[in-house]
Amino acid sequence: MNTLHIAWMLARPSSSGRIVQLLTVGAYTMVSAMVLIVLGGAWSFTKLGSEVQGFYIPLAAFALVLLIIPLLVLGSAAAKLSARAQDRALSSLRLLGATGFQVRAVAVIQAAATALAGAICGVVLYLALAPAVALVKFQGEAIGTAIFLPAMATAAAVLAVLLLSVISALAGLRKLVITPLAVATRRSAPMPSWMRAVIAVGGIVVICTLFSKVGLLPVGLGVLITVIISGFGVGLLALNLIGPWLVAKVSTAKLKKAESPEQLLAARMILESPSGAWRQVSGVAMAAFVAVIGGSGAAMFGFSENEMASSWEKHLGTDVLTGVLVTLSISLICVAISAAISQCAGTLDRQDLYSGLHRLGVDLAIVNKARVKSVMIPAMTVAIGFTVASAALVLPFASLALLLKPLTVATVLVVLLAGLLVIRCSLNIADPRRLLADQSRR
Amino acid sequence: MLQNSFVSNPVISARRLLRSYGSTHALNGIDVDIAAGTAVAIMGPSGSGKSTLLHALAGIELPDSGTVTLNLPGQAPVGVDGLGDSARTKLRREAFGFVFQSGLLIPELTAEENVAMALMVNGVPRTAAIARAVDALQQLGLAGMEQRRIGQLSGGQQQRVAIARAQVTGAGVVFADEPTGALDSVTGSEVLDVLMRCTVGMGKSLVMVTHDRQVAQRCHRILTLQDGKITADDSVVHGPRS
Repeated sequence: MNTLHIAWMLARPSSSGRIVQLLTVGAYTMVSAMVLIVLGGAWSFTKLGSEVQGFYIPLAAFALVLLIIPLLVLGSAAAKLSARAQDRALSSLRLLGATGFQVRAVAVIQAAATALAGAICGVVLYLALAPAVALVKFQGEAIGTAIFLPAMATAAAVLAVLLLSVISALAGLRKLVITPLAVATRRSAPMPSWMRAVIAVGGIVVICTLFSKVGLLPVGLGVLITVIISGFGVGLLALNLIGPWLVAKVSTAKLKKAESPEQLLAARMILESPSGAWRQVSGVAMAAFVAVIGGSGAAMFGFSENEMASSWEKHLGTDVLTGVLVTLSISLICVAISAAISQCAGTLDRQDLYSGLHRLGVDLAIVNKARVKSVMIPAMTVAIGFTVASAALVLPFASLALLLKPLTVATVLVVLLAGLLVIRCSLNIADPRRLLADQSRR
Repeated sequence: MLQNSFVSNPVISARRLLRSYGSTHALNGIDVDIAAGTAVAIMGPSGSGKSTLLHALAGIELPDSGTVTLNLPGQAPVGVDGLGDSARTKLRREAFGFVFQSGLLIPELTAEENVAMALMVNGVPRTAAIARAVDALQQLGLAGMEQRRIGQLSGGQQQRVAIARAQVTGAGVVFADEPTGALDSVTGSEVLDVLMRCTVGMGKSLVMVTHDRQVAQRCHRILTLQDGKITADDSVVHGPRS
């Protein structure tokens, strides 16, 4: 029996596995739709005048770079869910004598097939959402049909999603050690070192010092953009160093103070893998940076747009704010979807434990509260921590923005808060009381 | 065919229990009493209805028909079969202890936290719960292992943690489903010693499903099930060795 045949046999899910497969396809649908909308938005700038393009396309490219991490996290969550659906079957294959290569090949074929189904649905969703996205205005005009990518670019995006699923499946297999004894084990992650924080804070202090000097000087537009982009770059590097450490520190403090069962369980769930908890909400950190730094930039452009001579520059403040809000929204939506997917995978993984605890008399509401807290504690930590950190990073600009355009800053922060609320709501999909009841009814 | 198994002063009384899965009768008109302070083993081949009977007596599953009554000392009788899901969950949490074959311990928590969790879900403050959990673990020979994660404990140690969790709340009835099924014979025997000491040794009732005749012989009574009916109710001559 060849590998393709085995993959085909395993692709027919049992009734209990169908919900997982639907979730996985749904996850890839959202990944593809988000990628296409983001690319479509960036593509629309190529239809602007050449003078405008010179300024807008680098900013669009920058927004794309910022969205790569949330999109990768989302893709990885989809791939893990896909691997979860197959790990028992793959373990059994090993037990039956399949080689490691065959198991990997089956995993990759299945992940790619699921991703392809999701990507096709994603293209349909993109086409369905495009008319609404086309109403977003840049340079005073709605994007319109410019949102539609050329067919080749759409195909390339679908291929990229497939590639992402294959890479994530292979990475997932490396972490999910499938043994011939049909036991899938996960390796626990080490606690992040305090050195991460020292290095990150040191870098931020140096950049803050440099920025404060720049802030005192009468700077031109080019310098302003360079300063903001440099702030982003350093901030992103610092994020990945300090993020897991910060999550671990806050969770340790929560563990010490925990009084209720859900608080204790939530803190322990986070501390099981602070890096994993961080990765799940790293898009929130990105969003916090976009909100503060981009929001400050938008406010400052908005304040000076009346003094700008050329007609396209008059729209700069509004357009930068639009770009910030769009980037922020997409980033937070990606976090919400990936958190929901990861939580679904986690709940399904622990089906036996949760059902057993319920038999013991543990109310699943406690388990659910702990699960929600295990996402929201890192999310709130990251949102607050990195909003403050990014404000400190561009303190002169942030202060000026707050003074000159408080409404712009408030708008951005409200979107950030709304995003956190969306993340909280998205976690309801993985409520074990509902998800496991759905499973047991099948 | 033996259809009833009555005793005086039962802590649990079940009457005319029926439970079917499709055309299979897991419980086919069972009457049984569990006397306070006794150990009762439930034996029988796979599919005979052992676990279903245990689940029905513990309020985990509702029978299709029939009654299960809990008679705790100093309290009014409780009709377990008439309670809703949340009331039965509360009853299991407060009145019963459980030891299952897989342990059902939460892997992220330490041994003491797993035991303390049984108290915390009943509203006991964390500090007091941890203190009682540590005490329970030490009594079961796990001194020095309180802070270990579940993955750092052997199978026998994990079952001791599960036993500590089942008895730390002071529950008067402990249900065990193949508690030594996943252990080697020596470890299984040690765990059984601990289980007997913590239950009947302390005046509590133990209802235990097992495939192992030697394990069953440690109880006061052995109920044998076949096709959802009790086919034998034997008293063990020497009684439990706790």
